[in-house]
Amino acid sequence: MIELRDVSKTVMSGSEPLTILHPLSIRIPEREFVAIVGPSGSGKSTLLGLIAGLDAPTSGAVLIDGVDITRLGEDALARLRGEKIGFVFQFFHLIPSLTAYENVAVPMEIAGVDPARARAHALLEEVGLTGRSHHYPSQLSGGEQQRVALARALANDPPIVLADEPTGNLDSANGRHILELLRAIHQKRGTTIVLVTHDRELASMADARLALRDGHVVENTLQEDADADRAAVRK
Amino acid sequence: MAVRETRASWQRLLFFFVCIAVGVAAIVTLRSVIQSVREVFGSEARGLLAADVLVTTNREWPPEARATIDRRLAEAGSTARTETIETPTMVRPTDRSKAVAKMVELRAVQPEYPLYGAVVLQGPDRYSYALLRDHGALVRPELLTALGVEVGDEITIGRAPFRIRGLIASEPGRRVGGFSLGPRVIIDYADLPSTGIISFGSRADRRLHAKVPDDRIDEVVRVLRLDFKDDFINTRSYRSTEDQIGRDFERAENYLSLVGLIIVILGGIAVSSVTRVFILQKIRSIAVLKCVGARSAQIIAVYILQVMALGLAGSLLGVLMARGVIAAIPLALGSSPSLLAQAHYGVTWSAAVQGIGIGVLVSLLFAVVPLLQVRFIKPSLLLRDETARRRRDWLTIATMIGVSAALVALTAWQAASLRVGIVVCAGFAGLAVVLHFAGRGLVALVAPLSNSRSFPLRHAVLHLSRPGNQTRVILLAVGLGAFFIVGVRSLQASLLGEFSVQVDASAPDMFLLDVQKPQVEGVRAFLGDRAHGAGEFRLIPVMRARVVGVAGRETTLDSPEAVRQSGMSIGREFTITYRDHLEANEKIVEGTFGRTASTEPEVSVERDLAVRARLHVGDTLRFDILGRQLAARITSIRDVEWRESRNGGFVFVFRPGVLDSAPQTYVAPLKGPATPADRARFQHDLVVRFPNVSVIDFHEILETIRDVMSKVTLAITVVGGLVLFSGALILVGAVAMTKFQRVYEAAVFKTLGANTRTIARMLLFEYGVLGSLAGAIGSLGAVVLTWGVSKYALEIPWRIFPGEHAAGIVLTSLLVASIGVLSSLDVLRNKPLATLRAE
Repeated sequence: MIELRDVSKTVMSGSEPLTILHPLSIRIPEREFVAIVGPSGSGKSTLLGLIAGLDAPTSGAVLIDGVDITRLGEDALARLRGEKIGFVFQFFHLIPSLTAYENVAVPMEIAGVDPARARAHALLEEVGLTGRSHHYPSQLSGGEQQRVALARALANDPPIVLADEPTGNLDSANGRHILELLRAIHQKRGTTIVLVTHDRELASMADARLALRDGHVVENTLQEDADADRAAVRK
Repeated sequence: MAVRETRASWQRLLFFFVCIAVGVAAIVTLRSVIQSVREVFGSEARGLLAADVLVTTNREWPPEARATIDRRLAEAGSTARTETIETPTMVRPTDRSKAVAKMVELRAVQPEYPLYGAVVLQGPDRYSYALLRDHGALVRPELLTALGVEVGDEITIGRAPFRIRGLIASEPGRRVGGFSLGPRVIIDYADLPSTGIISFGSRADRRLHAKVPDDRIDEVVRVLRLDFKDDFINTRSYRSTEDQIGRDFERAENYLSLVGLIIVILGGIAVSSVTRVFILQKIRSIAVLKCVGARSAQIIAVYILQVMALGLAGSLLGVLMARGVIAAIPLALGSSPSLLAQAHYGVTWSAAVQGIGIGVLVSLLFAVVPLLQVRFIKPSLLLRDETARRRRDWLTIATMIGVSAALVALTAWQAASLRVGIVVCAGFAGLAVVLHFAGRGLVALVAPLSNSRSFPLRHAVLHLSRPGNQTRVILLAVGLGAFFIVGVRSLQASLLGEFSVQVDASAPDMFLLDVQKPQVEGVRAFLGDRAHGAGEFRLIPVMRARVVGVAGRETTLDSPEAVRQSGMSIGREFTITYRDHLEANEKIVEGTFGRTASTEPEVSVERDLAVRARLHVGDTLRFDILGRQLAARITSIRDVEWRESRNGGFVFVFRPGVLDSAPQTYVAPLKGPATPADRARFQHDLVVRFPNVSVIDFHEILETIRDVMSKVTLAITVVGGLVLFSGALILVGAVAMTKFQRVYEAAVFKTLGANTRTIARMLLFEYGVLGSLAGAIGSLGAVVLTWGVSKYALEIPWRIFPGEHAAGIVLTSLLVASIGVLSSLDVLRNKPLATLRAE
């Protein structure tokens, strides 16, 4: 489970402090597929970065399976990401000097998983790139690169996948394909998926929705779900 | 716009221009120092010669020659003259309890000496002739320790005792760093006969120093040279010395500056490489500029301005560095009495202008070709993500040719010789090509490691060949530095090893000179007496002779002058011998060697000289042997193995019969006693019995050689160190240049779960592998260098010193690994999200 307690983020813009996220608290239960939506600059990606431990909050605590990751050092965070979190970026962020297959194998190699080879090929097959495994990123289309990135995110079979505008750089057909893959992964593996998007239509494919504006939560169906659950229990 | 661009990226480019600065500093420092020193030597040329005109001979003055000299000097209005004699000889303490003897370079002087310059003594005493009168001696301080004596003690030279009355700090005419057989001892000319060391055929230089009015000097030198063109008498003036010194200095200045130029060119190569990466990074900005209407020429002009400004800044920094180094020279010399301390050191204008010119030009030349790629960047790049490939067209190729020609011209200008310019450029280009291919070969060799199971090692190896990598330039720069240092150190070890082998083997390690004919039996008995500790020995009759004419099939020279001018290396003085057998290191390759006595003069000639002077069996050589002329027919050509020449290294060997009764001295190669104490006693006892005999101890010579070589090695190691330092700067710069890739990848790896240690290990492996490759390239180059120099230049057996090479590889890889990791520390520290967002 992912839990954020009074988490805020303020950065310095020139000499002025700029608050990107005002204190917020949310809980994302296991096996949830949640979309974080909001206009550009609303703090969506920052929130995702905080959940992944890629960035540290100014205040508050981020708990993954009950562990406060804001207290962890860089190396412990890296290990946590290797074991529990897969990340998909808008701009793919594949290593240009490695082939598709090698890019997918990297997280397994870092974690010392053996045999990486068979699993990397299986993952590429799962995202429909069997024939492209020895191509370099520059030889792949945007949609294909994002599917490699998705396969890479799944390499260590993490319980959580965080996707930051994974379709933002793709045409609608490719975008839909990626989303269908995410959906399938969620259903097949029970992976918790947190998807950042500013596309409300895509967001509607998620089970729950968290809307941000100017660093404030303006809508949280997670909470409604939780309240509804609690009400059902009370009844 | 150029200013804005520079401001944005100057930090990354800095290192390359520091490299240019180091090279410029080297050029400016070397040129300035040599120019300053040259000025002193020029003004001191009279002091170096201690005369306006110097007439010298290594034989007795023939009376008629003396008469001619007297007449000519009188005609020229000479106002003063003085004579000196110089000879190597043995000196021992008069105190018999001190059983040592030492070879010295003796100079006997008259009251008027020196006409110019000064003998400077250590301590408060000033030199005056009175110190020498009545068997006084002035000696170099090192003789005191060698003999265990002090000022005031007596030493014996030949048969006569002398009292040490002072210590020589400096004297006129002593070459700086020149090779000498022993420390200097000065005595009175009038006391020389009492020593008995000068006899017929002894090695002694007789010098006549004269003061001549300035306007008559050239004339008197000219007529004396004409008078003695067929005699063995040389005449020179301080002016010819000055000219010679001037030429030597000019040559030294030009050649040494080439070292600086090589460093600058290394910087240039780095500039070229950095410009290439820079353009790659700027592709989008350039595409944007083109979108808003900028033309390629405008953009290239902006970058050229930027490069030239940085080149100028680097060169000015170089001049500043040179100033700092030069300012430190007087501090380093302190109150040294050497001529060097009298120079006024400062950066000279000509050196500074040359340095700056070269810095800016080299930066420009090396940046132009990569900058031409700007023309191929299309604005459409902004719409599609195209990978821009390097392209070549006729303009690029023409520019490359132009740049190469300009570099040759630049080098030729620095060396003041087109030939040297072409040779150095071709050599450098050849070396660069070799290093380049060696680098590629080695990178290919380690490529299989990219399948290694170790994640950091796999990625380290992959990084060596990633796009935009700096592998080749680092291998070239660092490899070149390693090559210089390992090569020179191996050569030194090789040479010293060779000498040691020669000295340590059972081969002779002592050499007696000037044994007079009547002493032969006495010396034979002395050496044969086991109590003195000498091993095997032989006594060889020798005479000093010059070739004064050749009548042959190919070569005909009818006067000593013609022989001297022939340029066939037969004009010098030779030591000749006669015998009835060949030595073990000799082989007849043509003709027959006369083994029985004959009344017909016959001579055998060494092959190399025969080839050089185009001499054949049947030709006639005319010799002047101590004033007596003798025409000898060549009856054989001999091959001499010079490496084993301790017993018989003679170019001319006569058939016995003709020379047996000629005035001659003997030399004796022998195996001396084993321990230093026994060797000292042996020399002492021998000299007590035979005061005129000189002993050369090869062990001492080896020490001298070792000393000279360690100085030369130090000098070249400093040069190699400078090159390596530039290599290190280029490395730091290359790391800075490619850091954006590393920071990005590290951010991705961190996101995927890699910890700091994994990333640090990746960096360590990458630079470790790179450093090992650079070290290996340097070592391989050094192996080739030592092989070539050993085989062709020094003609000694080729040796490999695994220790030097292993140390070269290990130290280079450590250096590169630590510099690489240290300059990448922020790669480890950066937070991943900020990096990924910026992409």
